[in-house]
Order: sequence, then structure tokens, then C-alpha cells
Amino acid sequence: MTQLDPRGIVEISDGGVSVELKGEAMTLNIGPQHPSTHGVLRLVAEVDGERIARLDPTIGYMHRGKEKLAEVRTYAQITALINRIDWVSGFANEVPFIVGVERLLGVEAPPRAQYIRLILTELTRISNHLVFASSYPLELGAATPLMYALREREFVLDLIESVTGGRFHPNFNRVGGVKPAAGGGKTQKKVELDLPAGFYAGVEKAMDRVDAVCDELDDLVSGNEMIQARAIGVGVITAEDAAAYGLSGPNARASGITFDLRKHEDLLPYGDFEFDVAVRHNGDSFDRYMVRIDEIRQSTRIVRQAIHSMPSSPLQAKVPRVLKVPPGSVYVRGENPKGEMGYYIVAQGGRVPYRVKIRSASFSNISVMPKIAVGQLIPDLVATMGSLDFVLGDVDR
Amino acid sequence: MTDSPSETTDTPSPLGSFAADLAGDVGGERWTADNGTVHVYVAPEQWVDAVTTARDRGLNFFSWLSAIDWSKHVEVGEPAADGDDLEERYEVLCRLSSLEDAAAAILVTTLDKEQPVLDSLVPVFGGAAWHERECAEMFGIDFRGHPNLIKLYLPQEFEGHPLRKSFALGSREVKPWPGTVDVEELPSTTNPEAGEAS
Repeated sequence: MTQLDPRGIVEISDGGVSVELKGEAMTLNIGPQHPSTHGVLRLVAEVDGERIARLDPTIGYMHRGKEKLAEVRTYAQITALINRIDWVSGFANEVPFIVGVERLLGVEAPPRAQYIRLILTELTRISNHLVFASSYPLELGAATPLMYALREREFVLDLIESVTGGRFHPNFNRVGGVKPAAGGGKTQKKVELDLPAGFYAGVEKAMDRVDAVCDELDDLVSGNEMIQARAIGVGVITAEDAAAYGLSGPNARASGITFDLRKHEDLLPYGDFEFDVAVRHNGDSFDRYMVRIDEIRQSTRIVRQAIHSMPSSPLQAKVPRVLKVPPGSVYVRGENPKGEMGYYIVAQGGRVPYRVKIRSASFSNISVMPKIAVGQLIPDLVATMGSLDFVLGDVDR
Repeated sequence: MTDSPSETTDTPSPLGSFAADLAGDVGGERWTADNGTVHVYVAPEQWVDAVTTARDRGLNFFSWLSAIDWSKHVEVGEPAADGDDLEERYEVLCRLSSLEDAAAAILVTTLDKEQPVLDSLVPVFGGAAWHERECAEMFGIDFRGHPNLIKLYLPQEFEGHPLRKSFALGSREVKPWPGTVDVEELPSTTNPEAGEAS
């Protein structure tokens, strides 16, 4: 038996053999198919009564071997692979990889292409956080907010679709810029026509609706006593643990770490805009929820500024048709809606990379679970897991 | 692999001087600062000490840990640029960054192909546990002192180390790829299969 399950879990549950444990220990399997796991994640919890004594997440059910696959794909093809890593924020996954390849090649995307990337990244962030704002209350037993948040998310997805042609997997970035607008092609002369007609007006309207739904969510969720009772003080992560386990993005900022890659990395022109880094200080599940609502408001602010200052330029820099990337290695990280998303690319002069290491945010974000779950009640485990906003594709890669 | 520019450059860039300072503090053998990415190379015996020093020096955010298999023979994909001159080895990389500013570095150590063993970073960064498990199953590197070095993604009974260059990719064995239909072929080149399809 031990050979089959090296953690010895089978021993405990199967045989009831004497293992040195206090009280009546029981092993509880949550998942792989469980609504609270957002995909196929198995949590093996050793529980002492209602409290968790030990937690073992078992991952890998969705492991697709993207790092190996990237070694047999050309650089242009890899974008189709990587925007499926975190499928709730597909567009944001593409940008750091493409910028990494551009840095190795020594090209830079024209300003207008960078602005379009930035706008779409922020729209993706809004969409991602609205999914969180709908699913998290659901996990705590509140079904109504889901309707409100997803309703407005449709408007955001419509905007992304109108530019890229895809709702979830845009595959819109090209090395050296972005894809020419749908239907534009080579005949398109006026750069101002690269975004679909009515895009700016549509953005204004959608941003108004998103801001309005944030206020609605404040009334429905943030001020809700039952939600507060379930989330405040639950699953506290200290700033030290956040750093040591590599928690990034909103999860780290909920623990008081004022760090946002949009302020420190120059892969997108965030320096042109005014926005605040959303930060909260208690490190509990409630703050992780609130940080994301704050971030939605900042993102609408960025998008509004961006559409009013769009520069004119071509959409693509001059790049050879068959990309051969000179030898070298680069690590580029971006602020994905879930945290630090980065790609370490080792090029050796050919059409395919020698090695691509994918640093995904959710992988590190949930690696802290075995530590913070100890001593928690089982329902609190669900509240904590949900607040980390992970996607299994982003964990397993 | 590029040589360290530290000896040749007269006026180092800000990134270069950061790399040189860091290399001095952690006992690095050499460093590079190309493409905006700092690499500091340390000896495997000093791995844990170097990472600890870098952490205490302000790079306290553990971003990731992984490895590269440098092999002359590659089963799939394109070979390394050095060809037969390549020095066969594993490189283990650990990326650390600051939570105050953009400072960041990748610490690199080189391991022997025959006996890839390295001390575990789990006592320094709790988050290294999963990264080392992934690295162990994918590259067959043994992390000494890891509390639970079982497979992370793969089934426990899985044999082989998929990210080694000697590991074949099943689907490529069955059907070579890209094959004759190559998406990056220039439009002018004749493509018999594409012709048949249309």
C-alpha cells in the first residue's frame, strides 16, 4: 500500500493502523472534482474533528507539458499555447512572452501597438476580477452577485472580441506588435481604423457599467454581514510568508505588500497613466476580495486615460518573416491579473527556443495552502482557497 | 553561452554594476547582465549560502526555481548553438527579486550530468518545496534535504524525466512535425500538400 501512495494516506484511511496522531484523525478527500477547486485539484486533508491537521494538495491533473511543447514550436506558435495557461486572462499571458522575444531580437513594438496591448490587458484584468467577484461570494453561499458581475463582464468580453476576434484566447500579439484589425489586412491605410468602429464609445459605456457594478457589489457583498463573518480574519497570510512562497499580485497586496509590476517593469507603457496600487493590510480572505474590487476601479481609470491619449503609429515593427532569435536568455515578467506571470526564454539562434520556463502566478499562490490551512475549519478552507483566485491551468501549466 | 562582460566593460551599466555588487556579496564566480536579465553564477557548494545572502540583501521574493539541460544530443527541438563544443551540464536557476523596487537576479549553479545533486532551498524559502519537486521529476535532479521529494505533476510511478533533452516527445515520434505543411513557409515556395488540400 505504501508504494501506491507515498504519503501514507491509504494506510491511515484504509487500515486504521496505528499512526501517531492526536484524537480520531480522519482523511478527507476534497476533489479532484469539487466545485470549490476551480478545476481538477485534489486536496487531501487530515482532519481532527472539524479542524485541519494537515493538507496535501495534489496537482497535475491538468499538466499539459507546455514547457516541453514550447521546445518544438516556433516563437509565433507559442502564443497559441500560452494564452491557454490561465484561460480566464488569456491576453495578459501573451504579453510577457512576446516582449521577451522582442528583447532578444532587439525590436520594440510601436507605441500604438503597446497602447492596444495595455488596454486589452486591463480589460482582461477587469474580466478576470469580475469572474472572481462572481465566484467567490458563490463559494460563501451568496448566489446573486454572480449574476451582476457576469452581466457586466459580457460587455468587457464583447470589447475584447471586437478587437481580437476571440473572447478567451485572443492570440492577438505578434512579435513586433499586434495583429492587424479584423478585416483590415494589407489594404488598410489609415491606422486610426485599426480598432473597430465604435470601440471608444463602447469602452466608455462598458467602463461606466463596470464602475457601477463595483458599487453594487459593495452593497451586496462587501457590506454584507454574513460575507464578512465568513471572510474577515480567515486564512491570514503574513507578508513574510507571501514573499517566501512567491505570492504575487492581489494576493500579496492584500497582505500589505505594496508592489505592483505595472509600476516597476516597462514592458507596457503604464508610466503614462495615473493610477494607484490597490493595497490592503490584514492579509485575510476579505482583504483579498477587496483588493480585487479596488483594482477593477483602478483598471477602468487606466483604460479611460488610455483611450483618450492613443498615439498614432503603425501596428507592427519590421520583423523578419521567419523569426530566428539570436542566442541569449531573457526573463520578462508582467502583472497578470493573478500575479507575476513571467517567461524565461533561452534562445540558441534557431526558430524554436531551447528552453522556456513558465512562471505562473497561481502555482506559487496556492503552494502556501499547506501552511495556512493547518488549524482551519473545513468551511474556512473553502473560503481561503476561493480567495486566492487560482485557475488550475495556471497551476499545472 | 556568453562570457561575462565584467572584465571587458570599462563603464558598466547600472544593471551591470548591480550584478557585480551582488556577485561580490554572494561569492559569485561570474555574472552577466544581458537583455535586462541579471545572472550570477555560483558554485554548487555555495548554493544555499548564496541564496540566503541574496535574500538578506533585499531580494526576498522567491519567484521561481528551475533548470536547463545542456546536451549535445537533443531528441526533439533544435540543438544548442555551441554544437559539439557544448559543455554538457545541468544548470539550476533560482530567480529572486525585491519587493521594493525592480531589482532582481537569477542565481545559477552548474551540476554534473552524472550526479546532479544540490542542497535544498526549502529551509531558506518555504516556496521552494514545490519548485524543487517539479525540477526533480522533470530533470532528475536530487535536492538534498528536501522534506518530501516526491513527484509533483506526474504519477508517482512515472519513469523518465520529461524536460531532459534525451526525453522523446511521443506525439512527435508518431507524426513528425511541422512536416511538409509549414506555417512559416514563404508564400512563394511551393507546398504540395497545401495544394492538394485546396
